[in-house]
Amino acid sequence: MSGRSTPAPPTDIHDLDPQQFLEEVHSFDFWFEAVEGYLSGLTHGHKPDTPEAVLGDVERDQLITVLCNYCVGETAALEGASGLIAIAPNRLAKVFLSTQVVDEGRHLEVFLHRLRDLGVADPDSEVERRASRSLQLFKRRLLELVAGKDWEAAIFAQNVILESLEFAVFHSHAQTADPITREVLSGVVKDERRHIGFGENELGRRLRVSPHIRSRIGQVKKELDHLVLETLEETMRHLGSPRDEHERLGRAYLESVERLGFP
Amino acid sequence: MADFLSAYSIQTWLESCPQGYLMETEYGHKAGEAEPELLLTNEVLREETIRSTVQLVVGERCALAASSGLINAAPDEGSKRFLATQTLDEARHVEVFTHRLYDLGVRKNELETVIKQYANPNLVKFAEILLEKVDRKDFIAGVVGQNIVLEGMAFSVFEMLHALSQQMNPKFAHTLSGTIADERRHVGFGENRIGSLIKEHPEKKAEIEGMQRDMSYFMLATFADAFRNNRAAAEFDQLNVGRARADYQGVDLSTMAPEAMEDVLADTVLKEFKTRLGRIGLEYQTPTRP
Repeated sequence: MSGRSTPAPPTDIHDLDPQQFLEEVHSFDFWFEAVEGYLSGLTHGHKPDTPEAVLGDVERDQLITVLCNYCVGETAALEGASGLIAIAPNRLAKVFLSTQVVDEGRHLEVFLHRLRDLGVADPDSEVERRASRSLQLFKRRLLELVAGKDWEAAIFAQNVILESLEFAVFHSHAQTADPITREVLSGVVKDERRHIGFGENELGRRLRVSPHIRSRIGQVKKELDHLVLETLEETMRHLGSPRDEHERLGRAYLESVERLGFP
Repeated sequence: MADFLSAYSIQTWLESCPQGYLMETEYGHKAGEAEPELLLTNEVLREETIRSTVQLVVGERCALAASSGLINAAPDEGSKRFLATQTLDEARHVEVFTHRLYDLGVRKNELETVIKQYANPNLVKFAEILLEKVDRKDFIAGVVGQNIVLEGMAFSVFEMLHALSQQMNPKFAHTLSGTIADERRHVGFGENRIGSLIKEHPEKKAEIEGMQRDMSYFMLATFADAFRNNRAAAEFDQLNVGRARADYQGVDLSTMAPEAMEDVLADTVLKEFKTRLGRIGLEYQTPTRP
């Protein structure tokens, strides 16, 4: 939004001192400028005039299953991110998570809308019917971590593991999806990138000053990895992706978590 | 319900709020606008303005905690998504009022100390009653407490502050315009969504009505502290600074003593509560006047 000006912006935001940098990037204005760039002119995540592709019955049914599971993942992310606000250690983290809450709510809304476009009359019950067991278990565990007010473990499960899983799957799916689904996924992926950045930054700083939390987070990773890999496998199967793509995505997910030093 | 909730979708919110009335704003006001010089240079006025802004931050922090906490308690996806937009609205309010404190000269490293120093204990109790319902995942009580009582109070307070600021402090008046537009949407959701749930759960009425009475008491006690102990009006008189006309609820606030303004605000909010609670099938409970 052009008029959402900031006084005398520096040439590079990374030149700001750390606190000022966080004040800037964890603000409503920063969020809006980021999303306005790619959501402006879209309706329910895609351009209004993007043509609907003709899908065969099997292809359509597989897409519905995949979208239903995206809805499960986004509901987990919405409930997780909103619960994290209460335990966030400072105002800037709370404001950032509020922007994430609305992002996750938007993702859920655009996927539900896409299901309706594909002829699903009652998306809520369809989601319940087709939800993957491993993803539901993941959601339950994530919300337990949030309810247990374990900030580091919950932010790791939410903004590193779940967001990395979604990023990997959505990015891969967008390469082969029909035009409307591709546009919807592209916007979602851009949001996920921001969320992962927050998670890595927040955890990275904490791990530097309190290295003892590493072992606790390592336990959470061990516990959740197999659920993530099962979910990946299942989704890729529904999308009809080749075997090597499943493996590539599994590796991409593990690598993104490894960046934080969790092999 | 699905049709009603579609009016509260994220798509609608994006188009009407950030892409609508918040366009061309910076922390809620027009770029380049500043607080009036007098508020920044007169220590009594600056302190009273900081004190009143702190109450706004405290109220909005409570609203942020409540709206985000209610997402996990919401019985349907549409309500969750509306509450997601409300969560971000409330976070924006926290942000813009916090920025006002910085504009008034509060240093960033002093923020929490200043908030603790000036937060009205009655407002803190008001917030605690609501957050206790949210902690228990009581969606109906939580939405009545948040979207009818808290937001109803905020709406009337913001309108009064807006009337008082329009001539004398355009920057703050612009900030308030955006928050008023947000609160109107939140109150509308509360009324529309809760009516049907109250019908389904008549057994909850007595408890919720009790919550409204208790919250209303602490709200009135906050108003009493804010108006009766406010040194700003006397300072304006001493400086012989004329106050600009400020129309609110059919009266000109600029000609009124603080106690009379307190009565106007309290009567306005309580009347609103009565009307809105009646619409959702709850009986308004008259609180004790502090």
